[in-house]
Formats: sequence, C-alpha cells, structure tokens
Amino acid sequence: MRLFRRTALAMPAILIAGSARSADARIDLVHLFSGADHPAQKVIAAFNDRKLGVSVVSRQEGTTYEAITTKAMAGIAAGRPPAIMTTGWKLADFARKTLGAQDFNDIYGADRTTALMANFRPGLKEICTVGGSLIGLPWAMSTPVLYVNMTLWKQAGLDPAQVPITIEALYPLAKQLQERTGKQGLIFEVNEWLPQAFIQNAGGDVITRDGQPAMDSAAAVHAIERFVEPRRMGIWNVLSIGEMVTAFQSGAIGVMASSSARQSVIRTQAQFELALFQMPGLEGRPRRMNSGGNFLAVYATNREQREAALTFFQHVASAEGFRPWLATGYMNTTVHNLPAPGNEAAHAQLAGGLTSETIWPGPRGLEALQAHIEWISRIVNGAVSVPEGLRGSRQAVERLISNA
Amino acid sequence: MSGESPGARASRPHRRAAPRRERARGPRSQGGAPIWWLMAAPAVVLCLAFVWLPMAATFGLSVVDVNVLRSAAVWRGLAHYGDTLANPDFHLALKNTAIYLAVLLPLQIIVPLLLAYALMHLAGRVVSLYRGALFLPAVLSFPIAAVVWLWLFNPVVGVLNAVLTALGGMPQRWLNDPDMAIYAVCAVSFWKCFGLNLPIFAAALANVPPELRQAAALDGAGPWRRAWHVELPLISPTLFFAGVTTLLLVLDEIVGAVDVLTEGGPFKTSTNLLYFLYERAFRHFQFGEAAAVATLIMALVAVATWLQFRMFERRVHYA
Repeated sequence: MRLFRRTALAMPAILIAGSARSADARIDLVHLFSGADHPAQKVIAAFNDRKLGVSVVSRQEGTTYEAITTKAMAGIAAGRPPAIMTTGWKLADFARKTLGAQDFNDIYGADRTTALMANFRPGLKEICTVGGSLIGLPWAMSTPVLYVNMTLWKQAGLDPAQVPITIEALYPLAKQLQERTGKQGLIFEVNEWLPQAFIQNAGGDVITRDGQPAMDSAAAVHAIERFVEPRRMGIWNVLSIGEMVTAFQSGAIGVMASSSARQSVIRTQAQFELALFQMPGLEGRPRRMNSGGNFLAVYATNREQREAALTFFQHVASAEGFRPWLATGYMNTTVHNLPAPGNEAAHAQLAGGLTSETIWPGPRGLEALQAHIEWISRIVNGAVSVPEGLRGSRQAVERLISNA
Repeated sequence: MSGESPGARASRPHRRAAPRRERARGPRSQGGAPIWWLMAAPAVVLCLAFVWLPMAATFGLSVVDVNVLRSAAVWRGLAHYGDTLANPDFHLALKNTAIYLAVLLPLQIIVPLLLAYALMHLAGRVVSLYRGALFLPAVLSFPIAAVVWLWLFNPVVGVLNAVLTALGGMPQRWLNDPDMAIYAVCAVSFWKCFGLNLPIFAAALANVPPELRQAAALDGAGPWRRAWHVELPLISPTLFFAGVTTLLLVLDEIVGAVDVLTEGGPFKTSTNLLYFLYERAFRHFQFGEAAAVATLIMALVAVATWLQFRMFERRVHYA
C-alpha cells in the first residue's frame, strides 16, 4: 500500500519529465546491420547529435531481409509499423503491395521528393520506382565485382595490369593460375544475382519489364552456358556463399566474383594483396550490369512520423550524412564528391549505368525467387542441362506468378 | 496362472477395488474441490494459453488467407491442405524427414547406450571426465555447433578434406553435394545430441539392483546375456522414454543445423518438414499454407508417437 502511494505521488513528476523528453519525434529505423560500431550506427548517432527535433532509434531486428520483414509484419498487422525499414530490392514488390511501403510523392509531395532525390545520381530514381511508385531512398547499393588475389595472380606469372574485361578472356587465365599455384582458380556465388548479371550482359532478362519470366531465352541460355563453363573446366569448385568467402579470405582461391559490399569484411581478414576490378562482360555483347542491396522505405502511417523520416532522409542524403556510410563498401549513390578508396571498380560500374536487382512480382514472388535459385543450383551442380534448368525455372516462376 | 494360489486369486478383487475406494475418498467427497481446481489452475491456464489456443489459432489460420495491411481474412477452406499435399517440395521434405529419423533415431539410442555400458565398467576420475566430455556438445546451441562444423566441412580450407586428402582420398563438397548434404547434417546433429541420452541411460543402468546381476552371474550368465536378459528389460521404461523424446528431438532440433549448414539445400535435398514450414512462413510469407503444414506435422507427430506406444510400450517392463 505504501509502495502504491509513493508511486502515485511520483507519477506526475515522471509524466512531466517524460513529456519534456518526448519533445523530439521518435522514429524507429529497423535494419539488419549488426555491431555497435557498424557505420549504420554512426549515421544514426551523427543524425541524433544534430538535435533536429527528431530522434532515430536503431532497431536491428535480424540479419536477413526476411527476418526483419517478418517482425515488421507483426507490427504492421497490429497497426504499429516501423517508421523506416531497410528493404531488400528483391522484396520491393512485396514491400509496396503487401507491407504498404509508401510512395514518396504521395506523402512528401512532388517538390520535396524531387529536392530529396536531387542528392542522388541521375538514373537511380528509376531503380527505386516500383509499379510507378517511388518507394525508397537508394542508400545501400552494391554491384557484382571481381575480387582478385593479386599475390596468387603474380605468383602465377600473370600480368597485374592485364586483368581481363571479358569472361571469355578471364577463364584461361584463371586456369593458368590454378595450374601454376595449385590453388583454386575461380569461384562464383550461386544465387540469382550473379547469373542475372550474366543474363543481362548477354542481352537477356530474368523477368521482363512487364513482369514476364524470360530466363530461358536464347540470350539467357548463352549466358548461363558461359556461367557454368569454369565448372566444366575444373577451375570452379562450387561452394556456398559463406564457404566461398571464408576460402577466398584465407588465400585459397585466385579470383572471386561477388558483391562489392563484401569488401569491408574481406579486406579486414585477407592476408594477401587484394584488388577489385569491374565484373567482366561477355564478348561481343554490350555491358549491362545490375545492382543490389537495399533501400530505405517508409512504412509509417501517421504524418508526424513520416515528416520525421523525411528529416532523417535529408541527413542521409547529405554529404555529411553519407560519408560514414561508405565504410560499409556500399557505393556512393549521391552526387556528392566523397572519397571511397578501394571501391573504384564498383563506382566505375555505377558510372557506366546499372539496372535494378530483379524484382519478383506478386504475393508469391519470394517463392518464385527461391524456385529460380534452386534451378540455377541444379544447373551448376550438373543435375540438369542449362536449357532444361532454365526452362524448369521459367515454368516454376510462371506458375507461382500466375497463381498469385 | 495355473500355479496361482487361491489366496492370490482372492486378493485380486481387493486390488481392483482399491482405486474405487481412492476415488471415493477423492477431493469432492472431502469437500475440497475448489482447492484442487485452484491448485491445478495455473498449469491449466498456461496450457490453454501456450498450447491449446496457439494450436487452435494455427488451425484457424490454415483455412484462411490473411492480408496484414487490411487485417482481413479470406476463407480458403481446405485449399491450403490440398496445395501442400500436392506440392513436390512437401513430398521431398517428408522423405528427408523419414531419412533423418531412420538414421538418427537408432544412432541416438544405441550409441549412448553402448557408451553408458562402457562408462559403467570404468572406475575412477576418468568416468566423470569422459561423461563431461561426451555431454559437452549437448550444451552448445545448434547455431554455434553448426558454425564450428562449417569450418570443418569447408571443402577448400576445412580440416576434414585436409585429413581425407592426406590419407589419399578425394576432397568432398560435404554440404554442397546433393547426395551428401543430408548425411553431413545427420553427422552434426548426432554429434550435438547423442550426449543428451547418455546420462539418462547411465542413471538407469546404475539403478539396476546389483544383486540381480550377481544372481545372473552365479547362474552362469555372461556379460551379453546379463545385459540382454537382465539389464535391458529393467531399463526398458527409460529406453521407451528416450525413444519418444528422441523422435521429437530429431524432428524438431535439427532445424537449427539445417538452417546454418545448408539452408535446406542444395535444391532442398537436406530440408525437412519443419524447415519446409519455416520457409513457407518466414521466407515466403505464405502464412495460411505454413499453418496447414504445421497442422499436418502435428497430426504426423501424434500418429508417430501413438505408433511408438502401440509397438513398444507392451515390451516395457515396469518394476
């Protein structure tokens, strides 16, 4: 009883103190970047230090896009969505249609949206536009690049100034590297993203602009035949992405094609001379590389939270706000001149123009993506031929999209 | 029964009548019913809140499609069940679950039992040392254990392939070979879980009265006959308990290993029913179908446990 009385007496004081602190609008930023010293935390801390009347709360709620989306869905269903969430490009259609990612033009108006997007490189606005709606800020963008263990490259007697710009020229050199050093020549990551780069560089598409699966076109078959060639040549031992990164970091592989965003981790572990190069294209075909990563999307349903999110976006889009972010290995997507040492290859690719990551349409889009990855895996493991596998993928994806 | 004495026969009705008398002396007759109900209430409420209601909610979710934005549910009837049963990935997950059970269930019972026998015949401090070492993997969480194994399994820089090639063998893609991945997951799961049954069997064997062993030995029974005819029947309730709990463990706990080691791949060759359920719910966000899968799994587990009781409980000797 005494405790109750004391609490009752103290309550007004607590409420007054609380209301003074809550003068700032508080918004949650749900993300997947772990570690107290991750650049995401530095960006948020720098913003909060500016005391602009908005306080951003960092909420790392998982380490995959699916994990954070699952948790966000519970909040959305309960009417308490996160104000901002890092959303994977592959989830873009799902985010717009199922999670309710907001169109910037609707919530901020055309003028303020244009002013915000003017901080970003021309062309990126299209990448962030899904079904006619601009739903994200291109914050975390990566592209496939070639990681070369230059110690092994030189040890094999290969010219360090002559890293090839086509896949057809790369393979014989990777074979030489393997024969002369005894280390594995080359490795590709097995997923949907790197094969997308091959298919686009052959002139094809995984899914066309009007949402039709096209991964078994003649161009795509040509591309994936080139993709699996090193497996047939015996210079690519297929590993999972985790195993691949571990093996490359330990110096056991000569050349690795993977996301430019992995470089911050790889650089800290690699005990050899590492160099990054643009992802080679296909001989005689125009380059058309893809991007990946995630964007910042707004899920807030009330006006105050949305406005607070805009204040944070304006900070993120500024030179001051973007500089610490580059330590991740993601590209400088802004128009600001910011140094990103070591990431020149990715930036050269960005300057050459990038397409978006494949967006998997419909409520069963993520299942379609999974089906496609599994067919790619079957092809790479030699369980089916390239035309069979791509046809299988197209049929599976078509069925899932049409059932939606 | 022919050798039964009249006195024994006469005592049978008394034994049967005893429960009736106990029932007659039950709480109601003592006027203490509210107290008994009150004492049982916390357990009943917890069971309702965390077992029965979620089960009912899962079944409810399995017959609708839910849109999180509109919080509206669309009636689908049994369509999710039909879709699931027609899905080839579900068939593969079912087949893989049967493989996991066929490999792991006997291993998780027989190996700890043999080790418990071996430990029983050891003396001195070395016993606790061995017990501790053998139990150690069981206290690790699956993700941590699997991360350690990821290093060992790495085809390029892993220890296993280094040993294999040093012995003149061919390096293997343990987790990426579609024919090998499921057995690699079995190996990790076995390493992680076999220690759980070890102290249970050791305790059961320690409780076997030594005079029975001595009597059997005096009658000329060797170690094998003593184990088969004296010790195993006496520890059969423990074996039965371990069988039921290990079945649930193999079905349930392996998901952590599958997720970290292979994510069910390559192309679903190492998935199982629970991982299939996890993917439907938390990767593809098809909650209605996932709920249907969960309901089917509940039914399968209930049938498997019932079969275990039907097949093995009659062979259990309760002292």
